[in-house]
Amino acid sequence: MYLTVRDATKTFGTFTALDRVSIEIERGEFVCLLGPSGCGKTTLLRLIAGLAEPDGGEILLEGESLSNLPARKRGFGIVFQSYSLFPNMTVAENIGYGLKIRGTARSEMSQRVSELLDLVKLPHVADNFPGQLSGGQQQRIALARAIAVDPRVLLLDEPLSALDAKVRTELRAEIRHVQRSLGIPTLMVTHDQEEALALADKIICMNHGIVVQAGTPEDLYHRPKTRFVAEFMGISNLLSCDAIRRAFPHLLTMRPEGADDSLVACIRPEQIDVTPAQDGNATVRAISFLGNLRRLEVDSVAGPLVVETHGTNSCREGDCVSLGIAPEACTWLADDIARPMAETPA
Amino acid sequence: MSVTQTTPAATRQRLDADRLLALVCVGLPLLGLVLFFLYPMVIVFLRSVTVEGGYGLANYTQVLGSSGFWRATLHSLLMGGATTALSVFLGFIIAHGLHRCAFPGKWLIRGVIILPLLAPSLVQALGLIFLLGRNGVISRALGVEIEIYGFTGLLIANTLYAVPQAVMIIGAALVLLDARVYEAAEVLGASPSRQFRDLTLPAARFGILNAAFVCFTITITDFGNAAVIGGDYSVLATEIYSQVIGQRNFNMGAVVGIMLLLPTVISYAIERQAMKRQQTGQSAGQVLYRPSFAPLRDLIMAALSLLICAAIVAVIGIVVYASFVTLWPYNMSLSTKHYNITLAGGYSSLWMTIVISLMAAAGGTLALFLLGIGLRRMPRAVAQPIQMLAAMPAAVPGMVLGLAYILTFNSTATPLYLLYGTAALIAIINFYHYHTQGFLALMTGFRQLPPALEEAAGSLGAGLRRTAIDIVAPFIAPMLVSVFFFLFMRSMVTLSAVIFLTTPKLSVAAVTIMRLDDAGLTSQAAAFSTCVMAVVCLALLAMKLSMIVMGHRRRPKGAS
Repeated sequence: MYLTVRDATKTFGTFTALDRVSIEIERGEFVCLLGPSGCGKTTLLRLIAGLAEPDGGEILLEGESLSNLPARKRGFGIVFQSYSLFPNMTVAENIGYGLKIRGTARSEMSQRVSELLDLVKLPHVADNFPGQLSGGQQQRIALARAIAVDPRVLLLDEPLSALDAKVRTELRAEIRHVQRSLGIPTLMVTHDQEEALALADKIICMNHGIVVQAGTPEDLYHRPKTRFVAEFMGISNLLSCDAIRRAFPHLLTMRPEGADDSLVACIRPEQIDVTPAQDGNATVRAISFLGNLRRLEVDSVAGPLVVETHGTNSCREGDCVSLGIAPEACTWLADDIARPMAETPA
Repeated sequence: MSVTQTTPAATRQRLDADRLLALVCVGLPLLGLVLFFLYPMVIVFLRSVTVEGGYGLANYTQVLGSSGFWRATLHSLLMGGATTALSVFLGFIIAHGLHRCAFPGKWLIRGVIILPLLAPSLVQALGLIFLLGRNGVISRALGVEIEIYGFTGLLIANTLYAVPQAVMIIGAALVLLDARVYEAAEVLGASPSRQFRDLTLPAARFGILNAAFVCFTITITDFGNAAVIGGDYSVLATEIYSQVIGQRNFNMGAVVGIMLLLPTVISYAIERQAMKRQQTGQSAGQVLYRPSFAPLRDLIMAALSLLICAAIVAVIGIVVYASFVTLWPYNMSLSTKHYNITLAGGYSSLWMTIVISLMAAAGGTLALFLLGIGLRRMPRAVAQPIQMLAAMPAAVPGMVLGLAYILTFNSTATPLYLLYGTAALIAIINFYHYHTQGFLALMTGFRQLPPALEEAAGSLGAGLRRTAIDIVAPFIAPMLVSVFFFLFMRSMVTLSAVIFLTTPKLSVAAVTIMRLDDAGLTSQAAAFSTCVMAVVCLALLAMKLSMIVMGHRRRPKGAS
């Protein structure tokens, strides 16, 4: 294992930001820390960066403890949400700053800077000051500055959150490309599940200072283990055992052991088939047209459901429909929503 | 499970070079504060309770039993109250005119407003004498005789000195009120007078309160105007002076000093609270209010504002004019003979003041910068008390600080005695006298520095020293420059703090002006004042220029 965090704990006064959190990152892996604001993800990133000290636990890089290394000696690269380029330095000086500190020769430095500018597709801005660049450009430079020193780990703290939608998607692809081609182990903090799904090899989903679930994007989307993960990762229909028994009894075959109120069934909107049918026992209440898909709100025996359809579905509002769900499309998961709230005081 | 583990690694980190440097950054300025502010203040208190053969309250009972003290106290409070009421009222008119009315020539008002800050406070008094005194321009033109020495003259002089402060503070409060608030009120159907009552006045409330306390404090602690135009109207500041210089009664001076400290400390504490309340109203991305022309309102406001400004200009302008008049008021032809100053050490004190001011400004700015850098690396529990201490000197009147210094440094009990009578000590007292304003200004600069910048530098491998030089200093350079010039300009004109520390061999400009005036050489005093104002104006110009240069360096050639 390349980077290991073991039982990291951090409190601020009475607030527990991290409660014995353990995570692992492999060489070359892109890991996303995903969770709502206040879940502890940024605190964890800052502990790894050395910008804050843990109250307990340890952080190991290739088996060696980092706890006696201040941030400046860890050799990590970091990109913040707020760009944080040095306003008094040109773009080239910003990118070269880490190299300058390491005493790199001038010629080698300018060579490296122009390579990096090419890599982030901004070859002509070397002599500009950060204030002259757009947000997206500034963030590319911040990325170049972070990777200039060949960091042992790249840390990204919500790097895309301050950008507008189109730039965000572009830069997302850019980050992915750069990370893949250089193979730098990367940890990115984000609250945007779509971003995490698109970028990560592994997603670590956090809530209230603990890791709720870790796994591949597919794992977390299709096989959430708890209600929190299911609700956080995209839209889901969460149905009680009772509702399933009433409306879709054939799904009960996959139900694991456990009390009724400890389990909940998760069915993704795109996994429900709707067919117009005179004798259907469900009604389409509302339809939103979203371009590539249509989102239907359907009243069924199980209660209100969200259904997404692609292409040629001719349902209209008020139509009677019948619903079809394949048994394997239903994931049973733990109804955890009350548990962490009760454990951690806000 | 938040068990705190004190690993060996954590202990090692405490001895890390950066932490050591941060400790030094905080430690040195803190040592200065303790040595040159706290310690003298303790000494002045101890001296106030020192009686023959030990400690006791005999000095206090003696002072409290004297009618002179009560008269001075009453006068100080009366003068403070009257000046405050008048200057806040006038200041509000100008601030409202500047920020809520539309008329041309506002730059003129803005320029005039800073005039009194460029001159020693006693210049107002000098100017009044030239205007309204027995041989004053106005008195002679109108043929009236006004008793300018005493309450009236002092009130006018103090007011003219305090109005600009009130304008700045109230103006700052008015600027905070967002234009959209007025637009919303307009759409809801509120008339202009309703908008004034319901929006402008409440927004300015804390600004007005704040301005009142500031005006009150600077009035009761001012010495220059009281010394020149107060006449028989004794106030606490002149009372301390006469106890210490007149009667060589240091312990009694200390008692009066402590009594003067009481109202200023209270007033300062309330002022700080008011300031906190005001700042909570601030919002990001605010839209500046741009008033449209309303003839009745704007013409009246413009006339009033310009009238007040005219008074400020007249009082200072007449001093400059008088300094060139051959023999006031008998021979009004112009000459430069008053600039040939040989008495009271001639111009040597002017050069000395410039040297002292440069020392105070350079040393002070460096000390404050180090303190700011270090405080960012300190835990809250450590930083907060230090910040409180750093903000304290403003509560201490210059006279009291000066007295504290003479009691502390003129005593052979400690090696600090070596500093007595040196220019360095005067530079030090000037720095600590204006420590709070410089510190708060620099802290504002530091607050605008995003922590992410320092963290990014840290992750790239920069230590504290590198970060401070490469990242922090360039970022807050404009603030450093303005603190430097603030300390320089204040040191050039201050009188109250340094009056006790000057010696026949070592004098400063403001004291020389007072001595010249005392000696009846009013025209030479005016000439000397003009020289001081010229130096301060040059400094102001240099500050503006360096600001422009810095603004250019950040946005150089090429694309926008």
